[in-house]
Amino acid sequence: MLKLVETEFLKLRRRKLPWVMLLAAFVMPFFAFLFYSYLGKKGVDPLLFYKMSALGFTMFIILPVILGVLSTILMYDENQYDMLKQLWIVPVSKLGYFFSKFFMILLYSVGFMLLTAVGSIAFSVLPGIVAFSWGSAFYLLQKCLEIGVLCAFGLLPILAVAASQKGYILPVCATLVYAFLSFFLMSFNLYLHPLSSMAAIVMRNNDIPGLAFTGAPNLPLAFLCIDVWGVVSVWVADLALKRK
Amino acid sequence: MRILLWAERQKLRRSNMVWVAFFATVLLAAIVLIGGQQVYEGVRYIDTPGWFLSVLQPWATMLALPAVVALLGSYMICREQQDDTLKTLRMIPINEAKLTVAKMILAFVICVLLYLLLFVLAFAAEAVLHAPALPVGMVLGFLKAYLIDGVTVFFAISPIIALVSRNKNGYWLALVFAELYSFTGMFTSMSNTLRAIYPMTAVFGLSGYYDSTPGQFALSCVSVLACGVLAVIILAGQSKAAAD
Repeated sequence: MLKLVETEFLKLRRRKLPWVMLLAAFVMPFFAFLFYSYLGKKGVDPLLFYKMSALGFTMFIILPVILGVLSTILMYDENQYDMLKQLWIVPVSKLGYFFSKFFMILLYSVGFMLLTAVGSIAFSVLPGIVAFSWGSAFYLLQKCLEIGVLCAFGLLPILAVAASQKGYILPVCATLVYAFLSFFLMSFNLYLHPLSSMAAIVMRNNDIPGLAFTGAPNLPLAFLCIDVWGVVSVWVADLALKRK
Repeated sequence: MRILLWAERQKLRRSNMVWVAFFATVLLAAIVLIGGQQVYEGVRYIDTPGWFLSVLQPWATMLALPAVVALLGSYMICREQQDDTLKTLRMIPINEAKLTVAKMILAFVICVLLYLLLFVLAFAAEAVLHAPALPVGMVLGFLKAYLIDGVTVFFAISPIIALVSRNKNGYWLALVFAELYSFTGMFTSMSNTLRAIYPMTAVFGLSGYYDSTPGQFALSCVSVLACGVLAVIILAGQSKAAAD
């Protein structure tokens, strides 16, 4: 398994796009900086700034879309160059292959959110919008790590769709619809969609201003939702890869 | 040109990607319809006549549809390179710039059709829910708005698709960029001037979703037309490079 992950890293090193896509981690911190600079506010509550820069659209739209595209890229390349047959001859186990891709997504997701945390602190503290404090910085770091890990698990269905397809149009369209769906489902039921469940876990203490839920989120149900979708995705991916 | 358009249409008929895009559009409409079940001050959003017709266009535009159209356009351009049919086409010989223009015309038609489909879906839902309370004038106004959205959104993203024709492996970047480009509209819409200038929100100034002064309307026209001109310049550059 470690060998597979190492191979994935070596393959990733040759590609420029995943590195370029990391720049998207700074999109929301930059917009938050522009927003508060436009308002001319100084000494803003760090949580308000971080809600906009890392705990809002980054979590619901940007990260899922970027991870969905990355999942498709990782799966599509082997299909495009007809390398799967060679991998099966080696032999590489189907699930080992799938999990090596997932491990890349997980690392990328955590790295992306850490960059978002660094960007949020840089864009808030350097212009003086937020007064730096270790407490708020650690809080942001903790939330970003949680989002990074949980979002990768939440994207397992997209990775499974990408594994079952030869082309890239369907997985990418599925990614857009998937992210869109979680965004709208949040106001009804947090435990139907893995990304909404991720939001429930991240906001479990109702401590993010403007994003609080009515009542305490049901954490076991949220984990169960992510688990069920994850297990079904792995099963579907295994079936699809066995047919290839 | 007519032959090129015919050939592109035939190629599209054999591919299921257009159906995937149309299906994604239907799902987007369904998701916003689910979002309309949310209750605000004792009334569900969807119970207000015209709400669905009104909100579907900005949500679909800012979160998903431009990326879908950019993906379709760039896919049509890149597939000749990927399927290794570009060499054969060059031997015929075919003017590559004209071929790209034919593909862009087709992408334009698909973009308008996707917005018309959105309108039909929104209108069907509104007709089922509030048939007697829907004035014909309002419905025709929305039809005009969706048509203008379809035309102008394509103009706004045309430089991205045109750029892909220069770098045939840039379709992933085009997709990510189109998504961030449309998503940024959520923030530019906060300022009256900025939303008239930024192409993805200027389309709403032109379609009538935003109230705009004659000056803002003119700015929006210039902004969207500038995108079209930029796409033409990029294509002309490609044509000149091919001639050299």
